[in-house]
Amino acid sequence: MKTPTVPAGARPARALVFTLTVRRTVRSGALWGAALGLITATSALSYDRVYPTHALRLALARAFGSNTMTIALFGPAPHLDTVAGFTSFKVSLTLSVLASLWGLRAATGALRGEEETGRWDLLLAGPRRRVATTAQALAGVGVGVVVLAATCALVTTAAIRSPASGLRWTQVLGLGGAVLAAATTFAALGALTSQLDATRHDATTTGVVVLAIAYALRLVADAGLGLHALVWASPLGWVEEMAPLTAPSPVAAVPVAIWAIVLGAAALRGARVRDVGAGLLARDDRRRRRRRLLTGPGALTWRLGSSTILRWWIGITLGAGLIGLVARKAGSTIGGSSVRDVFSRLGATTLGTRAVLGVASLILAVVVSLLAVGQVAAARAEEARGHLDWLVASRVSRVRWLLWRLGAAAIALGGVGLLEGLATWGATASQGAHVGPTLLLEAGANLLPPALTLLGVATALYGLWPRAAVPVSYGLVAWSLLIVIVGGIGAISPWLLDTSVFHHMAGAPAEAPRAAANAIMCAIGLVGIATGVVAFARRDLVAT
Amino acid sequence: MDAPAVRADGLTKRYGRTVALDHLDLVVPAGQILGYLGPNGAGKTTTLRLLLGLIRPTSGRAEIFGVDAWREPVRAHAHLAYVTSDVALWPTLTGGEVLDLLGHAHGAVDGALREELIASFDLDPTLRVRAYSTGNRQKILLIAALMTRADLLVLDEPTRGLDPLVDQVFRTYIRQARDRGQTVVLSSHELSEVEALCDQVAIVRAGRLVEQRTLAELRQLSALAIEATFPGRPPDLRGVPGVHALEVEGSVLRCQVEGSIEPLLRALAEAGVTRMTSREPSLEELFLAHYDRADVPAP
Ligand SMILES: Nc1ncnc2c1ncn2[C@@H]1O[C@H](COP(=O)(O)OP(=O)(O)O)[C@@H](O)[C@H]1O
Ligand SMILES: [Mg+2]
Repeated sequence: MKTPTVPAGARPARALVFTLTVRRTVRSGALWGAALGLITATSALSYDRVYPTHALRLALARAFGSNTMTIALFGPAPHLDTVAGFTSFKVSLTLSVLASLWGLRAATGALRGEEETGRWDLLLAGPRRRVATTAQALAGVGVGVVVLAATCALVTTAAIRSPASGLRWTQVLGLGGAVLAAATTFAALGALTSQLDATRHDATTTGVVVLAIAYALRLVADAGLGLHALVWASPLGWVEEMAPLTAPSPVAAVPVAIWAIVLGAAALRGARVRDVGAGLLARDDRRRRRRRLLTGPGALTWRLGSSTILRWWIGITLGAGLIGLVARKAGSTIGGSSVRDVFSRLGATTLGTRAVLGVASLILAVVVSLLAVGQVAAARAEEARGHLDWLVASRVSRVRWLLWRLGAAAIALGGVGLLEGLATWGATASQGAHVGPTLLLEAGANLLPPALTLLGVATALYGLWPRAAVPVSYGLVAWSLLIVIVGGIGAISPWLLDTSVFHHMAGAPAEAPRAAANAIMCAIGLVGIATGVVAFARRDLVAT
Repeated sequence: MDAPAVRADGLTKRYGRTVALDHLDLVVPAGQILGYLGPNGAGKTTTLRLLLGLIRPTSGRAEIFGVDAWREPVRAHAHLAYVTSDVALWPTLTGGEVLDLLGHAHGAVDGALREELIASFDLDPTLRVRAYSTGNRQKILLIAALMTRADLLVLDEPTRGLDPLVDQVFRTYIRQARDRGQTVVLSSHELSEVEALCDQVAIVRAGRLVEQRTLAELRQLSALAIEATFPGRPPDLRGVPGVHALEVEGSVLRCQVEGSIEPLLRALAEAGVTRMTSREPSLEELFLAHYDRADVPAP
């Protein structure tokens, strides 16, 4: 908690909030921008090596160029026989999702996070000041967004070569523009949810839900069901339509600009009309006393965390259901030996509905892993905010507290696995696809070992290195996803593939779950959890 | 219970190369109010967090009523309640619900006292924490600590953010707690607060305990402040044993005297003093004297 406080009585300096926000967002924007640029540049530079001949490039284009399922999951794949097309397919969606998340978190952190601490009480007194403060914070986030996009573009210039073997200047600039659009869109959304919800956690969660809906909308739009117009209903769809590397379309920036202006203005208006510390949607600040679930750490964990877990359960049910609904249709478009070859490389050995579900299991596994890491992140947040101090300073054992938290994570994960299986079964059955319920429940359970591994790693980090635990664990999920996406398309060294938990997961129900690999992943998870608990019992509690 | 409420033996905490607390030896007998005094960054919070078992001592140990605070935190905390000034509470719970939660976490709560405290501190318990001002959040914690009637109250700058009226209520209840036999450790950098409440004072500076005495002893140790008026120019008192901090303003002379005051009185009488007042120095002056003096061991 090192943020400078505003001395009482002193007139706040003119642009204090702006300056403080810029200081925070520029550093993190530069860091993330560099990471995004690195991902892009290495992808572009690997093309020549992985697909050296024209024949190989054509084969790649045939396999993925019109493959509805991969397009639905990862975005369009035109011109795969060029470096720009290849790079676009490989990194576009990752880039726009990561930039969106960055923008969202930067906005909710600057607007809600600071307010939550109460340190800005003085600055937020009175509606006019509140609007000015909000505007300054937003401007600060804007600077960060520009730095993010600029750094990404700058690092990507490393991949600039001739059109035959690299990217072009205009493409790199366009890429920066797409990153800018994605981050701006979700920063504006974060600004608004910061006014609607009363805590940073809720404001971010609402934003992530919108991001998930945006992803699902563009998934359906690209699933070859004749609903492509839906892409315009999704913020991620706009960024996709900008297609800076393949078919630049500046028109798609128009909805982004409109969205940003409308949401930004709504946020400022919201800041004016609401009370400090309250949200527009969370105005019931007064409430009858509810004594339930305040009797101890276990009850409290459930009371504070159950709504989040419930949201994940609903989300995974809807997501799995959606994929189940389109799976049969998408599966029927798969054909041809080159496609079969590619699919077997992605983990699917049978065709049709099951192949599609097998490929989609990767996305679901990522979501489930995010839930697992999120549970550790919630524990860390409880400690970082100082809430845990109160419990440990009374008769609550810190180890018991952590075990309760991990128990909640186990329940959350178990529920997710079960719901995923049931939802997929229900949805596919409704489409007349006959994949057995056992097979699908098994596929749901098959999502859990990678999540358990990540839960273990996150818990171990939490015990050993609490300040880094959350970013490193989320980074590990992103890394694992990136490795399998890259690995699925082109050659990548086997030991690098081994670092990805998702690489060890079978693409059920297309493939049978791998018992040995799953057992090892579970064992790693349990060892990690044990390590984390022991280390946590022996370390200091640390605030932010 | 024969064990002292708090005992620290060579208690040390390092953060990398920073020594936040350096071999602290401290005993707080049961039933007393200890003022734990020091400027910002002196190591007060570090000490209290060590007592609570929230952080692990680099070396040495801390005991609460004879129970090791780090090895057996749950048992050590059975008789303890804690308040800080950095109030971060669960934003979605109401004030009343936070009291429920902390009450359960502590075990026993005096229900009647809880209601009385809510009334005395003028807290609206139906509001969610996020809607309270900083001062009101502070009140929740004070009520939570006081309503448990814990044998030991550990308070880390508990009145920051409270208005003077509430401060008075706080003092009343702290005195009442002491009268009931509860022990209080009150960290503060506000001298007036410590002066008004405490039986004993411990002063820390740069991680080291500089002094632990009763308030009375501390006052005796130090100088008496004298103000004398003369018909004409005051005499030159330099060289009179024990006198320092001399100041002359017209016909008025001010100084401090340490040890026996007899030589000074004789000198004043010889010079024909017409009017004289003496008073005990405030804690503020004592405190400043401590930090000005060169004989304080360097860290
Ligand atoms: N978690 C920490 N990491 C590093 N240094 C710390 C930490 N906590 C406290 N310190 C340092 O220890 C010293 C004492 O701090 P603290 O106990 O908070 O002082 P006080 O409460 O008297 O103001 C300070 O120099 C502070 O910077
Ligand atoms: Mg302190």
